[in-house]
Amino acid sequence: MTQLEEFLTGRIWLRQFIPFSNEQVNQAILNGSITVRLGIVDGKQCTRCLEKSPEKIIPFYCDACQKICYYCRHCIKMGRISSCTELITWSLPTPLPLQSHSFNWTGNLTPLQQRASQEVQKSISQKKDHLIYAVCGAGKTELLFSPIFEALNKGLRVCLAAPRTDVVLELTPRLRAAFPNTVIHSLYGNAPEENGFAQLVIATTHQLYRFENAFDVMIVDEADAFPYSYDLALKRAVDKAKKKDAPTVYVSATPSKLLLKQVSQVSQIFKRFHGHPLPIPTFQSLWGYEKVFAKDQIPKKLVDWVDQKIEKHEPFLLFFPTIELIEQAIVLFKHKYPAIEAVHSQDEKRKEKVMKLRRGDIPGVLTSTILERGITVPNVQVAVIGADQSIFDAAALIQISGRVGRSSEYPDGEIIFFHNGITRQMDKAKKMIISYNGGL
Amino acid sequence: MNCYLCDRVMTLQVTWRSIFFNEQGDVVCLRCQTEFERIKIGCPICSAVGDEKCLDCCKWENTEYAGLINSGRSLYRYNPAMKEYLHRYKFLQDVILSEVFVKVLQETLRNEKSVIVPIPMNEEKLKKRTFAQVDRLLDAAGIPYIHLLGKNEVGLGGKSKAERTALQDVFWWNGKPVPEKVLLFDDLYTTGSTLRLAAKVLKEKGAKEIKVVTLIRA
Repeated sequence: MTQLEEFLTGRIWLRQFIPFSNEQVNQAILNGSITVRLGIVDGKQCTRCLEKSPEKIIPFYCDACQKICYYCRHCIKMGRISSCTELITWSLPTPLPLQSHSFNWTGNLTPLQQRASQEVQKSISQKKDHLIYAVCGAGKTELLFSPIFEALNKGLRVCLAAPRTDVVLELTPRLRAAFPNTVIHSLYGNAPEENGFAQLVIATTHQLYRFENAFDVMIVDEADAFPYSYDLALKRAVDKAKKKDAPTVYVSATPSKLLLKQVSQVSQIFKRFHGHPLPIPTFQSLWGYEKVFAKDQIPKKLVDWVDQKIEKHEPFLLFFPTIELIEQAIVLFKHKYPAIEAVHSQDEKRKEKVMKLRRGDIPGVLTSTILERGITVPNVQVAVIGADQSIFDAAALIQISGRVGRSSEYPDGEIIFFHNGITRQMDKAKKMIISYNGGL
Repeated sequence: MNCYLCDRVMTLQVTWRSIFFNEQGDVVCLRCQTEFERIKIGCPICSAVGDEKCLDCCKWENTEYAGLINSGRSLYRYNPAMKEYLHRYKFLQDVILSEVFVKVLQETLRNEKSVIVPIPMNEEKLKKRTFAQVDRLLDAAGIPYIHLLGKNEVGLGGKSKAERTALQDVFWWNGKPVPEKVLLFDDLYTTGSTLRLAAKVLKEKGAKEIKVVTLIRA
């Protein structure tokens, strides 16, 4: 494989941004190994991310073409695609060079993990879609190791996609340690450049837009992490990145009804790897909390809860429904507890602050739903403020509850929903957690 | 509709004004709007921090560019939110973001008596960027303007002030009649060289009074 082929196989790339010389690319176009396509095609659809809603495909007067062109806002952060930009793909797929892989993991799987792992492996070999429905802290990643290893040895190209950069960053070192001889690319926004051909790719779902017809096995972690309206965009990305008949393995603690209906092969794990039951949320009224915050005060019950955690030196997370409320509350909390921090989705220091919480440098963190999944802080105690608000649906509340009691040293902890009236979603979340514990 | 900047859903505000005057709603949510910092008071030429003529503008008065600019103002500080905005608008080429400052530009320029002249882009660069970002800001706000200048193939970015000042023939007059009162409009005021180089050409061709307005003071 030439470097150009290694880079472009399975990818769809903006021609102007390809890290190879123009002559090399022209040569490959002339001999037919590269195909060129326009960025936005007739039906006003983006060729890279397949977006076609008029809110995202925008007309403008293009001074390069001296006419009206269209551009796509949906995937613009990866370099703007417009009617007059060119995308290139490698048109002559060659069989993958057989690479040798080794598997270096010494942990043990629980019997439930073991069974699920074998079921996944079977579905992959039969090219069937599969769902791993497993509670938070069940050890989902570990059970994927062995099916991934088998696929790699068969010469299959595997992608592990996750909705958020945080999750990709967390998975990458674990997979690199498990497969030390495999070329693994880790792709997310502003990731450092990777070289060579990767048989295993770990990517944010967003980065999947840059692949086409590439993967023989597609694993989608946290498959429910998008609000319903985003499901379609995610599904489009997954379908485009994998080969037509390639199986998809979905991994989720809170699968949507749609997903449960669509996928017939399901492995359930309703027990944590350490064997302890999931902590069950308690409900606590916090009447008119928004008004109290608006008057520059922290509700009394919340102060008491926080005081108690600080006294016991237990780290805590406070989940808030809106960024506005976090911004209002953090000022008040900082006044009372100067070391406390707040994070939200655009916070560049998010990782750092979570690390500080883990090390015990700070007592607690105020957060939006951004920290609802993927993070583990030993002995963390969790409160949801305004659990009745619509952003906290049952899936979100189950994920948030899943932050508690993850480590085997501290398998228990408190999860409390402060509310302004109990909602069905809160009830549903609690019932689901209880049913998981019942081993239903 | 969703905010152009943070993509969060904005609740539509129906007011009597929006019904009777067919006023367009905001394209940016309140939270993103408050991230931008309006300049209330500053240097009477470039709006640098302070309430009198800034050191930089005073220094210009000891050069051949003295007195070229009669007055001026800049509308926003170059804070992190504004840097992010300009990055997305200019470099990611998100053309629709020209609509973000429509209201402010209308307030500032609607009753302007001088003829508005945007700082032009070099032809080559325009082809690369695919849109004239300064013109589009005015277009979005419906502010009329004329072009009197062309620009030669030199970028100012990355050059020191001394180097910038040495560039004499950056702008050329395009031959259209030059009115007495001109308002030069640009997106970003950094050292002030661009505007002074442009003002010099226009004064030589007959302009008597030159004001400058920029969206951002770096």
